[in-house]
Amino acid sequence: MSIQNLNTFDPFADAIKGSDDDVQDGLVHIRIQQRNGRKTLTTVQGLSSEYDLKKIVRACKKEFACNGTVIEHPEYGEVLQLQGDQRENICQWLTKSGLAKPDQLKVHGF
Amino acid sequence: MTEEDSIFDPTMKIKKKKKKKTTFDLDAAMAEGGSGGEATEGIGDKENQEPELGAIDDDEGLDLENFGKKKKKKKKAFNLDELDMALPESKKEDGAEPIGEDGPAESNFDLDMEFSGKKKKKRKNILDNLVAEEEKKEAEDRENGFTESERSVETVEDTTSWLGSDRDYTYDELLARVFEIMREKNPDMVAGKKQKFVMRPPQVVRIGTKKTSFANFTEICKTLHRQPKHLLDFLLAELGTSGSVDGNSQLIIKGRFQQKQIENVLRRYIKEYVTCHTCRSPDTILQKDTRLFFLQCESCGSRCSVASIKSGFQAVTGKRAAIRAKTT
Repeated sequence: MSIQNLNTFDPFADAIKGSDDDVQDGLVHIRIQQRNGRKTLTTVQGLSSEYDLKKIVRACKKEFACNGTVIEHPEYGEVLQLQGDQRENICQWLTKSGLAKPDQLKVHGF
Repeated sequence: MTEEDSIFDPTMKIKKKKKKKTTFDLDAAMAEGGSGGEATEGIGDKENQEPELGAIDDDEGLDLENFGKKKKKKKKAFNLDELDMALPESKKEDGAEPIGEDGPAESNFDLDMEFSGKKKKKRKNILDNLVAEEEKKEAEDRENGFTESERSVETVEDTTSWLGSDRDYTYDELLARVFEIMREKNPDMVAGKKQKFVMRPPQVVRIGTKKTSFANFTEICKTLHRQPKHLLDFLLAELGTSGSVDGNSQLIIKGRFQQKQIENVLRRYIKEYVTCHTCRSPDTILQKDTRLFFLQCESCGSRCSVASIKSGFQAVTGKRAAIRAKTT
């Protein structure tokens, strides 16, 4: 019989576990922007710079059948930009490919 | 082995069921297979087994026939002490209410007498008149512990199954129990029955082809008790556009938006900046403290920081030539 309160608890368990998995940290902001007419742009900000964004954008373009580009921004780093409303698509794709966890994704816009 | 069986058999037969027997047999078989020292093993086994058996019994008793008599007695005694222990705590908990209730308690005493008669009805009433109920309950605790104990036996039934037995309580059971008690003491506070927060829907009208007007913007700010500037910042950052409040206090946003979309964004705003993150009550105050926004709850007193509004990356959507002309 053991007393639950007296069990040893390792306060650093999280810290030890946190670094090893290859999912990136920090939020990924997914935004939508209106252009002229019905057209929209989707931007993905906050993907870790360890990833090759060019490859990601290439895969996304193929997957979503849209055009896209990587933009270098002095403050926000590299930002993905895709044509059209790809918020749903990019969320699913990022989680499926394991680049980000669902709770790291933050979708903005309407 | 056979000896053991014979020792255990009578109790088992009284206590009922083949199922248990099979489990026991399994264990016994394990013990047998494990090593040659059968006699010692057997004794150890017995010692191990007995409390466990008791525990199992207890559980089943709960499920099947609501306690044997002996257990009930035990429980009652425990509950009385327990309630006495719990009482001061509960009083501390609902500090929001005035607690000097000796007067009401006495006045409610005759009510309590009735109450002991028709418990069930009271239960239904719980939602209606909370305060009165609260007072009554306290009075009841004080005056006639008996009905209370009986009542709590009913409710605590499922959460205190470890009471009569030797087995350890688990975390889940304790958690369930504490929630049971909380729910009993103040039925409105615990999540699940949150009050509705009713709001006027935003009136969104298109102006021309490129702009949208949010007509009751200031009104909504007032109902939310937020600075119009703060909400404006949030809306514009979230929608990724620009806009301003015009002369007759409506918000003009660049871009085409429908009411549904604005509603969605408002909902997000309310979730993040209006409702308390702890108790989800909407009466909160947003304070600015050394560049950080803090959400102070009026009903539960919690205070937590909220994210600052950042617009983030904005792609170039306008005419590039015009921008270049402006910068150079």
